[in-house]
Amino acid sequence: MITKKLIDKIEGEACVYFDIKDRVVDFATIAFPNFRGIQEILKGKNALDALVITPRVCGICGHAHLMATVRAIEDAYKNGGYEIVLNQKIQKIREFTLIMETIQNHLKWIYLTIMPELAQLNKSTKILTPLKSAFGSSIAARAIATFAGQWPHSSYMLPGGITCDPTNIDALKAKSYVDELTSFFEKESLGIGIEEFLAFESCKDFKNMDSDISFIEEELIKAGMNKKGFSHDRFIVLGNHSYTNPSKINQTRIYCADAMCVEDIDSYSPNEKTYAKNAVYSGSYYEAGSLARQMSLNVPIVKNMHRRYKDSAYSRVMARIFELAYLLKESNSILDDIDISEASFNAPQHINAITATGIGVVEAPRGPLVHKVSLEKGVIKEYKIITPTQFNIGSSTKSDPTPAQKSMIGVSKEDALFIFRTFDVCSVCTTH
Amino acid sequence: MADRIEGVKKLFTSKSARVETNMGDAHYEKLFQSCQARIEELKTQTPRENRLDIDSFLDDQGVNRRDFMKWASAVTGMLMLPSSFTPLVADAALLMNRAPVIWLELSDCAGNTEAILRSDGPKIDEILLDIISLEFNETIMAASGHQAEKQLEDAIHTFKGKYLLFVEGAIPMGLDGQYGTIGAHAETFYDHLMRISKDAAAVVAVGSCATFGGVPAASPNPTQAVGVMDVLKGKPLINIPACPANPANMVGVIIHYILTGQVPELDSLLRPKFAFGYRIHDNCERRAHFDAGEFVEEWGDHGAKHNHCLYKVGCKGPMTFNNCSIIRYNEGVNWPIGVGRGCIGCSEPDFWDKYAHERPISSVNIKAPTGGVEKTVDEFGLGLLTAASIGIGIHAVASVIAGKTENKEY
Repeated sequence: MITKKLIDKIEGEACVYFDIKDRVVDFATIAFPNFRGIQEILKGKNALDALVITPRVCGICGHAHLMATVRAIEDAYKNGGYEIVLNQKIQKIREFTLIMETIQNHLKWIYLTIMPELAQLNKSTKILTPLKSAFGSSIAARAIATFAGQWPHSSYMLPGGITCDPTNIDALKAKSYVDELTSFFEKESLGIGIEEFLAFESCKDFKNMDSDISFIEEELIKAGMNKKGFSHDRFIVLGNHSYTNPSKINQTRIYCADAMCVEDIDSYSPNEKTYAKNAVYSGSYYEAGSLARQMSLNVPIVKNMHRRYKDSAYSRVMARIFELAYLLKESNSILDDIDISEASFNAPQHINAITATGIGVVEAPRGPLVHKVSLEKGVIKEYKIITPTQFNIGSSTKSDPTPAQKSMIGVSKEDALFIFRTFDVCSVCTTH
Repeated sequence: MADRIEGVKKLFTSKSARVETNMGDAHYEKLFQSCQARIEELKTQTPRENRLDIDSFLDDQGVNRRDFMKWASAVTGMLMLPSSFTPLVADAALLMNRAPVIWLELSDCAGNTEAILRSDGPKIDEILLDIISLEFNETIMAASGHQAEKQLEDAIHTFKGKYLLFVEGAIPMGLDGQYGTIGAHAETFYDHLMRISKDAAAVVAVGSCATFGGVPAASPNPTQAVGVMDVLKGKPLINIPACPANPANMVGVIIHYILTGQVPELDSLLRPKFAFGYRIHDNCERRAHFDAGEFVEEWGDHGAKHNHCLYKVGCKGPMTFNNCSIIRYNEGVNWPIGVGRGCIGCSEPDFWDKYAHERPISSVNIKAPTGGVEKTVDEFGLGLLTAASIGIGIHAVASVIAGKTENKEY
């Protein structure tokens, strides 16, 4: 029998259709019923208009969309014969605001999605504190606003640079927000210092904490999530950043990867009209996101996690939490490296001179975000957006399931619904 | 051309566009008494059992009484009320758990929900938004799936005729509404909105998608997306545009409702005047440079380094009405113009097509409403004039239903 489950408390809405046999999920398909047509809207507009339109694809990772657009247009400049060279300052500031966006996303996911769902699954009586995420994210949003003007939906990046010209005071402010956020995370979530946490090398080390994070870890084990939710054990990282290593990972073997091999294909959703397409790399499904990124960096504790529990729901959740701490530290060192005396913007050739195609790839909170643009005299002829949720939560056939579909097979419906959320669903990005 | 300049001048000096900050002592005395009576009555009602006590909650959050009163006096100012109203505003804030709010997400990016999740806006505003009697919000609430649908039905039933309905996102009308469906029965967004709004006390459209169609409605409008005011008739409607809408303005509307039981005074586009009665340009921190003729000619130049006016690199501040130049974003940390990125006019209708240009206004077909800066008045003004005349019609209906009349002559 096919049963429908609505997935809410995500960005937008998704529907999962379960085919249950002998009380376990035999197969599941996924539909995203909402559509806005952003790619159509971009056609025929000036390339620079994309800078204010694409961030509006998503309310929670709009910054990643902005950066993907900027990178795509800059790539078109390069392919059109006018290469844009970015100095360290421009790159670092862009990187910093992107990291802050990922941090606020992870925090909200931990407290608004994972903790309540896990508590419900295990019938735990723990008093939940969803407001913690809101408080923490507001600090991250202030750090973004220092350079980007506002969050969500800022458009401070331009082909050739950034609009802001921060002073030392701005840089100090950003630093104090990062400090505030770090101590907040240490005090409210970890219960120990961030350095101590980052030095963990084994999952056993989580036992040395008594905090929200150790609660999540214990409950994951209690729910058997270290033995469920396995996907293909294939990972993909495509965005090039200081904290990533673009690669294709098969179990633990790391190969180089190229975003040109990404394409989107039609999805299989027999029960309801879906507007989402599936993203494949060289024709195969790969899992994307924090676990993939941390695997690509050979982070010791994540390797340990993978050795013990493979790509289970446990690994997916704990790698993401670990990445949050990792990025907090990274953001601090990025700020230390910014030389404010460098130029914020190097005026490129006028956009009207550009007839070329370009590709922009960014690691958004949930994984690789790919924008492909085709320009004719500065006007958008074609625009294509492929988002991380399309990699993770596509809907395919039983013989060739997507990561999310594979992870739900063989477990109870309740477990499957939790496992589905470990991918952090973003419906609005998926259908755009 | 002279006619058109006159026309645009008239639009921006017309009754609906002007902010009246002093309504006279008699008016305020009468208002004070009616507000006081309403507050006293609300105090006798018990809050919903599942709501927190705001007083002790603020305490827990480390907000002391003094900070709270400081905030209340700022809100009083924002709502354009005399300072004698401050204690009433404070009381109203503490009674926010008596105002049931239902929040719907339609064709959107969830950005406004993110904004109320305390990602943005002054601290107390968001604490209040977190604990208002939010009876239903898909992203935030504890229940999910079918349980959530039941909660929505219960809320509509329990608070029939009393709840405020906040709507985020546009309504796709193309393909019989099949571009956006919701819930177990795949109800279209249009049907969903009509059903839930039927018993609402008033509807608040939050963000540019819900007000004017926003991004989804940008040319060629693939899903035939429209705003709430295009489809909802015969209900008091308040528009809080901008992308994202500022949480301070959402709180302002709720407090105003608790305080007076009425819709705040609105402009011709149904926007509360307390928030949208200001032109970005008039209160801009870079205005002096505009007056002095000092402009950023190109990003990264001398002017950009010295915070000169962004008009020539495409700032739409001169034709955008919103209070961001006063209250800013993300707890007052900054706003786009603060980082040298011109205003894109996100609180105006059709801004994606008319405003969202990275190019100077002088080289595109839009025009500042004041006249004199550019050579010609063009369709910008005319477009707005048309929109305004439709808006006034709706406004008239809204005002009558809300029992609100403007009896003051300007």
